[in-house]
Order: sequence, then structure tokens, then C-alpha cells
Amino acid sequence: MSILAIDTATQVSSVAVASREKLAAELTLQARLTHSETLLPHIEQVLQMAGVEKAALDGIAVSIGPGSFTGLRIGLAAAKAMAYALAKPLVGVSTLAALAAHFPVPGVRIVAMLDAQKGNAYYEPFVWEQGALVSRQTAAVAPLADIIAACSQSTMPVVLTGDIVAKRVRDKMTLPAHVQVAPAQQLMPRAANVAMLGLARLERGEADNVMALEPCYIRRSEAEVLWEKRHPEAAPCN
Amino acid sequence: MQAKLTLGIESSCDETSAAVLRGGRELLSNVISTQIPVHQKFGGVVPEIASRKHIVNIMPVIDEAVRQAGVTLADIDQVAVTYGPGLVGALLVGVSAAKGLAFALDKPLIGVNHLEGHIFANFLAAPELEPPFMALVVSGGHTALVDVRDYNTFHLMGQTRDDAAGEAFDKIARVMGLPYPGGPRIDALAQEGQPTIDFPEALVGKGNYEFSFSGLKSAVLNYINSEKMKGHELNKKDIAASFQHAVIDVLVGKAFEAVKEAGRDTLVLAGGVAANSGLEARLRAEAARQHVKFYYPSKILCTDNAAMIACRGYYQAEAGHYSDLYLNAVPGLDLEER
Repeated sequence: MSILAIDTATQVSSVAVASREKLAAELTLQARLTHSETLLPHIEQVLQMAGVEKAALDGIAVSIGPGSFTGLRIGLAAAKAMAYALAKPLVGVSTLAALAAHFPVPGVRIVAMLDAQKGNAYYEPFVWEQGALVSRQTAAVAPLADIIAACSQSTMPVVLTGDIVAKRVRDKMTLPAHVQVAPAQQLMPRAANVAMLGLARLERGEADNVMALEPCYIRRSEAEVLWEKRHPEAAPCN
Repeated sequence: MQAKLTLGIESSCDETSAAVLRGGRELLSNVISTQIPVHQKFGGVVPEIASRKHIVNIMPVIDEAVRQAGVTLADIDQVAVTYGPGLVGALLVGVSAAKGLAFALDKPLIGVNHLEGHIFANFLAAPELEPPFMALVVSGGHTALVDVRDYNTFHLMGQTRDDAAGEAFDKIARVMGLPYPGGPRIDALAQEGQPTIDFPEALVGKGNYEFSFSGLKSAVLNYINSEKMKGHELNKKDIAASFQHAVIDVLVGKAFEAVKEAGRDTLVLAGGVAANSGLEARLRAEAARQHVKFYYPSKILCTDNAAMIACRGYYQAEAGHYSDLYLNAVPGLDLEER
């Protein structure tokens, strides 16, 4: 069973082709190129390098957030269109879970964090139990300082991963000894991890609706938040 | 050989649309999902909300367009998509989906300028229409006169220097407290009023095909403010009629001068503001007086739609003007010489 996986949730662009047994090819760039320009050429190149015909794919996995709203939509629009045209199942994978999948180590609290601007992070803590990632709470947004403070209180060893670690934590915050920062290549979401999590979903018989799948934004648009502040009488729209 | 099937995709602003066209003129489907009700409470299009709607609507709209056309996806010969101008986040949804489709289907991709698409809407509305002709493009963000010499050769006579006509309509509607979108509201009010207020018309010099509506916009806003200061009740109907009269005077004057200078016998109207009934009526009357043939698209083809994108894409492809998979959204794309 082979899968094409895409991650454009952050400044990293990553595309992979993998099966359960092996990662056949992965192209991961953090070069400030625009995802919209390079994504499809990268997909074409990675399939070619892996020697996999697109028609022979068993599915398409896409990182659905949280992350950059525009980046998520570029990846998801391309993934949906390909899944539709090739008539292949589409599976969305949490960007935070894909980050946490860098650390298949039991007994460690893996805290995946992505930049949510203005000192905030989208975050989700995971642990690795019996060969799988287990989420300890649903993904949320909180001030970075609060997330780090909670990690410091943890009785388990903690590893921090995600783009905001490079931007705001590594070499910028003093952390207790039991809280470790992941090395650079494990701070970036990589499509190989999206592929493996996607394959696991496919094997469980799960697939998302190609017509309706949406990014996981966590946050509403600022315009909606502002409008509701000005119209406290209006019920929030879901 | 069978006539080519072009799938068109449009997501530049607040409409998600897909269409299937056979050859250059035979429209098989044109599905439009509008977001106007979603943006109404904000008084204008909110880019992030528009992008969120596009990513939800894009696949159902494409699927419906293929289904309504009575064809299968495998029958599609090429994919045309708007890559600008428009809201960048909105454009990117359509561009990414189009690239995904083109790649998956192994079919060519054609990046289309939305404004050229508006001109080509006229080919769908009038089967007998052929270049050369003069095109007056009046849309939300652009006002321009384009001499369409053939399907792929355009000479830009002139365009907006500052605010486009559509922007002035929207801004004035907002100040008068009219709901978004303001253009059609002003048009409706203007039908009931009289152009009793003398607002200035800019850049009316002979041989000048540039447009400037910022002075007119300021004059109308100043008039409204001073009336409010004096405690007068606003005569919205007359303000709308006077403003619209001033805009139309400029557009009609320059359009027919351009027709004459380029030696054309045909004028076509294009763009979202082409749905303005006052503008259409004045152009039609003047065209009859000057013995110029006049075309304008039906209301549905005036709005942002993928049919016109498919049509423009078809004629581009006929000249071999394809895009590669590196195609990006260009939010500030202009009309240019071709």
C-alpha cells in the first residue's frame, strides 16, 4: 500500500511517497519559497524519484493543521483535487501529531507547538504508548509562556517540537533539565510522518470526505471575533 | 477532431465557480456558489472568510459542473483557472485545485487573467461576436478600455489611475448606509432619482483614456458630510442618480471616443459593473445614435464566473499559451498589452 503525503502547514514544504515498510522518497524544504509555486512540481518530482505512478497510489494524506491558514489551504486544495481526479481515498492528518511522531519513545511527554502569532502557540501534548501516539488533550491555542510553564511542572521528561521552538524557545528561554528541545530537523513537520499516520488511518478503513474536508484552523478569523465583540447580542455562529 | 472540453475554475473574490465549455462558445455548465450573504454583515468581503468558504466549496462546485455538463472528468481536455487579480488567499484555493486536477489528469493548465475573462464573457453571450472590437471593462477594482484586435492581441487604450468605478460605488454606498454589495443598490436608487447635483468629472480631455474616480468619490462624500452637518435629510435617490450620472458620462464619453480612434464598429461592455442598468442603457442609446454595434453579457455572465475563464482559457490554448505547474496567484495582476 503506497501513499502520497503533503505538509504545507508551516514554512516547511514537505512531500513524501511511502508504504508501511519503507519511506520511498521525501522532499523537505525550508527555503522560504512559496508553497503555491513549488508544491505540484515537488509532488511530480517525488513520485518520479520514488518510481511510483500516481495511478498506482492507494491514497493521499495531507497535513490539515493547525498551522498557516493559507499554507493549509494550498496543500488541502491540491490534495482534494488529486484525490478526486485519481479517485483515491483522502486522509487528513493532524500537523501536531505528525510533529510528535518524530519521537516514538515511551515515558516522554511530547509537546508539539506551532506558531499562532502574538506570543501564542497551537499545541497538543502526546505520549507514545504501545506503538502509537496518544493525545493527552485536544489541540488548543494558548500563550507560549503558559505552555512552557506547564511543561516545567511535568513529572515526566518533556520534549518540545514545532516551528515556534526554533523561533521563540531554543536559546531564548531557560528550561529545566527535564524539558528538552528537539534538534532542528525534528522541529519541522515532515511528510514522511504524515504518510505513516495517514497509512495507519487508511488501514483502519478511515477516509475523509474529499468534497467537505476542511483545515483544522482552531481559531476563527479575526473579522468574526471582532464582529461578535461589537455585537454581543448575536449568538456565535458555528 | 472533437471540439475541446475546457474546465474553468474561478475563486478570485467571493464567488466559487466552475464551468465546462465545449470548443470556444458552447457552454455546458456554469456553477456559481456565491458568498454574498456570508460577507453582508461585515459590509464587504472579508478575505480570510472568503478563503475558508472557497476551500469548502471548491470540490462540490467542480463536481457539479462536470455532472451538469453530462461529461466525465476523463473527458476534460484542459483546465483553465483565474490566477489574478483578486484576493491572494482566495485565488490560491482555485489555483492549487486546478494544478492538482491538471497534474492528476495529465492535462494542460491555463492560467487566465480574470479581467480578460470578463471581456470573453461576451463571446458566450453573443455567438456572432468576433474581434476586432473595443472593450470597456468596468469591474470592482478596474476600469479600462481595451482594443481587442484578435483573440490574443490586446491593446490597452487606458485604465484607472486611482480608484476604479466599482470601488467608488461601494464606498459611496457604505457612507449612505446601503448594504453590501453597494453597486446594485445605488443603481436601483438612481432609477428613482434625478441627477440634480453637479459632481465633477475627471480626466475628460480628448484623447485621454485614463480614468480617475477618486476626485468624484471625494466630492460625493464631502457633499454627503456637509448635508449631514447642516442637518439636512439626505436625498439618497438624487445623490445616487447624480453620482451614477457623472460616472456614466465619463465611461460613455471615453468609450465611444476610443471606438472612433481605433476605427472599430463594435463596443462590448465587460466586468461586474456591466450589470449596472443605467450604464448599459446609456451605452445602448449612444451606440444606436452612432451606429456602433453594442454587446454586453447577461447578468449571470457579468458576475464572477468560471464560464468566462474557460472561454478565455480556450482561446489562449488555441494560441499555445499554457501555464506550467509553477503557476502562482498574482493578486495585483493588471490588464496588459498582448
